Formats: sequence, structure tokens, C-alpha cells
Amino acid sequence: MTPLQRLIAAVKGEPADRIPIFCNLLDQGAQELGMSLEHYYSNGEHVAEGQLRMRERYGHDNVWSLFYVGKEAELFGCRKILFASDGPPNVAQFVIQDYDDIEKLEVPVDVAAHPAFLETAKCLAILRREVGGKVPICAYLTGSMTFPALLMGMDRWMELLLTGPADLRELLLAKCSEFFRREIAAYRAAGADVLLYSNPFGCTYFVGRKRFREQSLPWMERDLAEGGVDGVVYYCGMSPFANIVGEVIDRLKIGAYYFGPDDDIAEAKAIVADRGLTCGVINDIKMLSWSEQQVRDEVRRIIGAGKGSGRFLFGTGVMPYAIPEANIRAMLDEAYRLGRWE
Amino acid sequence: MLDQIIRDYREAVFDTDGEGAVAVAENALNNGIAAEDIVFKVVIPVIEEMMAVINRDPDANLAQHFMTAQIAATVTEKMLVHFRQPPASQGKVVIGTSAGDLHSLGKRIVMGCLKSLMIEVVDLGVNVTPERFVDAAVEHDAQVIAISSMMIHTARGENGSLAVRRLLQERGLESRVKLVVGGAPYRFDPELYRTVGADAWAEDGITAGRVIQDLIRAVTRP
Repeated sequence: MTPLQRLIAAVKGEPADRIPIFCNLLDQGAQELGMSLEHYYSNGEHVAEGQLRMRERYGHDNVWSLFYVGKEAELFGCRKILFASDGPPNVAQFVIQDYDDIEKLEVPVDVAAHPAFLETAKCLAILRREVGGKVPICAYLTGSMTFPALLMGMDRWMELLLTGPADLRELLLAKCSEFFRREIAAYRAAGADVLLYSNPFGCTYFVGRKRFREQSLPWMERDLAEGGVDGVVYYCGMSPFANIVGEVIDRLKIGAYYFGPDDDIAEAKAIVADRGLTCGVINDIKMLSWSEQQVRDEVRRIIGAGKGSGRFLFGTGVMPYAIPEANIRAMLDEAYRLGRWE
Repeated sequence: MLDQIIRDYREAVFDTDGEGAVAVAENALNNGIAAEDIVFKVVIPVIEEMMAVINRDPDANLAQHFMTAQIAATVTEKMLVHFRQPPASQGKVVIGTSAGDLHSLGKRIVMGCLKSLMIEVVDLGVNVTPERFVDAAVEHDAQVIAISSMMIHTARGENGSLAVRRLLQERGLESRVKLVVGGAPYRFDPELYRTVGADAWAEDGITAGRVIQDLIRAVTRP
């Protein structure tokens, strides 16, 4: 059974050899190729090669076309990224410096042809050539309610959202939503199968329930209206969202939910039930300090809570660069073993 | 009359109604209530109440933290200009994000909260080197260094809290300068603050106000 067949079986609740296991090793690809993160992320061939080698080494069920989260801001003109030697880069230049910039902000018309997308497209083309149709190819897309944080900084976006002029807030959200619709179409056309819809403002850890209902849900509907929800995975940046997932399913009809490590997976699975795929996610920050046995125990706890009769995936967050290899192996060995269907 | 003002102000803060909270404070001032009383008997007790509520409330959210801190800082700032004499400082903190980290939301929430508690804040901005944290603490005679990190490598890395701890040790400053950390990685691993050599951590920006208050009180001045 190929990883893609395994994932499709899990989504549909059909028989498979084991549950799908997603292991998100991004920066580790640079280490594998023996180059700095800045050099690694400058070329889509590096990223594709890094992803393929990671999968070859560990055997998990997905590869990524994501370079780093700030790459989306480059599509809006961000030209300065702060690279590190041991972790993901930061956006170092915000495209929106003051409110006047919101009106001037231009949404890229053709994302696929945008110079800032070329390396991503190159990476996707290689992944599609090498493992397309066999291994799920993942893409990362930021929802419209969260995207302004990449353009103006989280605190200034929070200020505009909560206290700023409503017309400018709506204008910015409309532009971000329009961008999202174009971006998801570009990723689909380039061969991405799994579209991680990242939207921390889609949970009540970021905003209260009232604002979630009155703003987050309607904007998410707009984001997804045109292209539909095929391949879309709901994700709130590792924040918990089991308390609102029922409303999200009712309104958006997304087929997969990538929960936070603090979510109660048994409770989440009970709510999602046969309406979608429940993804149980390990706390990979703690994997930096856990022993191999602690890692195995945690994998057992998560799979025990979620596997049940199927429609379940085990996954990680964006695995920190410094996680010991022994812990990655312990996690995957245990997940492969416990995830098997007899 | 003060009881009614406290009730109105509390209601505005709990509803994250910034304009309403400012209006309550300004009306009180216009009705002859001293600015000192508005800050010490209304603003500070209400933010302390919010700290307790937010700690207990499973539905408390980032937007609420942000607004609570902003409202408290704004009202305090507006009232301070009407004080008969400058208020006594409750302590001093230097704050910034760790080297390589450009995320400023958490820092901003903490700063708003501290200002309303009459704790002086020296904002070093983002991407702050360990040397700058320690030099600024000495220069401003601060009791606390507060480091915000949103990413695991900036929290755990060699240029973050670990380096600040090392400098405090080398310069013999540990008894007079305490080190507090906060940010997403610490929520995912509540023991991480020990790994990075901090004296304490705070789960969110509002709680940070209380944690820093406690550290200031604990400092042994030379």
C-alpha cells in the first residue's frame, strides 16, 4: 500500500495496513544535505531533495513543499527574511508599515507565475515527478484571518483587528482572502495533495467565541468557497480547537482536522467521528528533552486515544531542528507498530 | 461613588471595551476623583482581578489578554499626567525578544500590564543580544530582565536566556537581577524555563505582570 492510498483509506474510513503517519521534518533537510538553512531554502531543488531523503531515511507518509512560513509574505513583496543557523527564519520586513499601505497592497494576480513562487514550483515539480501519486505532497497556506500577521506583525494586526478602523480591517481581510483563493489554486495546479489550512485565529485560544463566530468562520467560508475543501486540512498552529471543531465541521465541511498537542484526542475524535479524519499530534517541543521511553509512551497515549475504528492519523508539528535522531526513530517505530491494523 | 466607578470600569475591561474604560476614568476625573485614586483604587485592582480571572478561565484568549493590557496602559498613561507628583516606581524591568526572534505581541502585552502596575519598563525591542539585555539592566538599575521568545530555537539557543544567565553569573549580578522568560515554547514545555536558566516563566502576558511583581519583591538589593 502506498502512503497516498493509506491516507485516502483513512479519510474514507476504509481498510488499510496501518494508520497514516505524518512526520514534518523541514529544517532537517539542510542538515542532511550539509548546507546552511539560508542556502538550503534558496533553491527548490534542495528542499525537494531534503524531503525525499528524509522520507527515505524514516519512511513516514508525507513530503512537504513548505520552505518556511514567511515565504508567503514574499509573494506580497517582503524582501527581508532573517535566517538562523538552528531554526526557521523570521519575516524581517513587514510589507504594511502603516494603515495607508493597506490600500496600496496588491494581491498577486498569478501566484504560479510570481518570482517568489518559482522555487516552490520547482520543488513541487520534483516531488511530483519522484513520488507524485504515491506519497502525499503537502502544502502550507495561511488563512485570511491570520495572514495579516505576516504582513504587519502579530501585535499590529491584533490592534487593527480589535480596535482599528473597520473599513481598513475588512479591506485587508478581503485582500488576504482573495490571495488565499489564488494561492490554493496555484498549489493544486502544481500538484499538492494535502493543503494545510493554517489559521490560528480559527480557534478560541486566539479570539473569543463571539469573534470566532462573527469573523473567523465567515472569512474561512470565503477563503474556501471558490476552490472547495478537497485535500484541505484544518490547523490552528498547534493551538487546541476541539471545543469548536463541531461548528467548523458544520460550516466548512472540511474533511481533516490536525489538532493541537493539548487537545484531548479521545474527545476530539468523538466529535469529528465519521465526519472527517482526526489527526492526533505529538508535542514535539517536549521531544527535545524526553527520553526515548517517554516519546514511546506519548505515542502510545495518542494512538490509544485516537486510533479506534479508523479515520485517524498520527502526526507531528514542525519538528524542531535539535530533536535527537533517536527520539525521532523511537516515535516513528512506536507509531508504525501501534498504528498497524491486524 | 468610587464603588460605582469600579463597577463601570470593570465591566468595560471585561468587555474589552477600551473606549468605554477610558470614558469611565475621564468622567471620574471630571467629577473630582483624584487621578491617583483612579489608578490605585480602580485600574490596578481591576487588572489584578483580571489576572486572577484569566488564570482560572479556560476560555480566556489572546485577544482578551491584549486588550486588557492595552486598556490598562492607556488609562494609566492618561491619568499619570494628572498626578500631583510622580508616582513611586514599583520596580524596573528591561524587556525584549531574544536574539533572532522578531515576534513582539507577547512583549507588548506584558509591557501594557507592567505599566499599569507602576513598574517601569525599558523596551529594548526585538532581536536583542544577551549583552544588551545585561548592559541595559545594569545601566537602568533594573531588578528583572524579561525575555520573550516565540520560537523554540530562540528560546533554547545559545544567544537567548542561557547566555543572559551566563553573563549574570560572570558579572556577579544574580542576586540583584532576576531573569524571567515567556512565549509559546514555554507553554508547550513548562519545565523549559529551568533548562534555559531562567528564574521564572509566565504562561501569558497578563500572568507575567504578577510573576514579575513577585520577582521584583524577591530581589535582594546590594
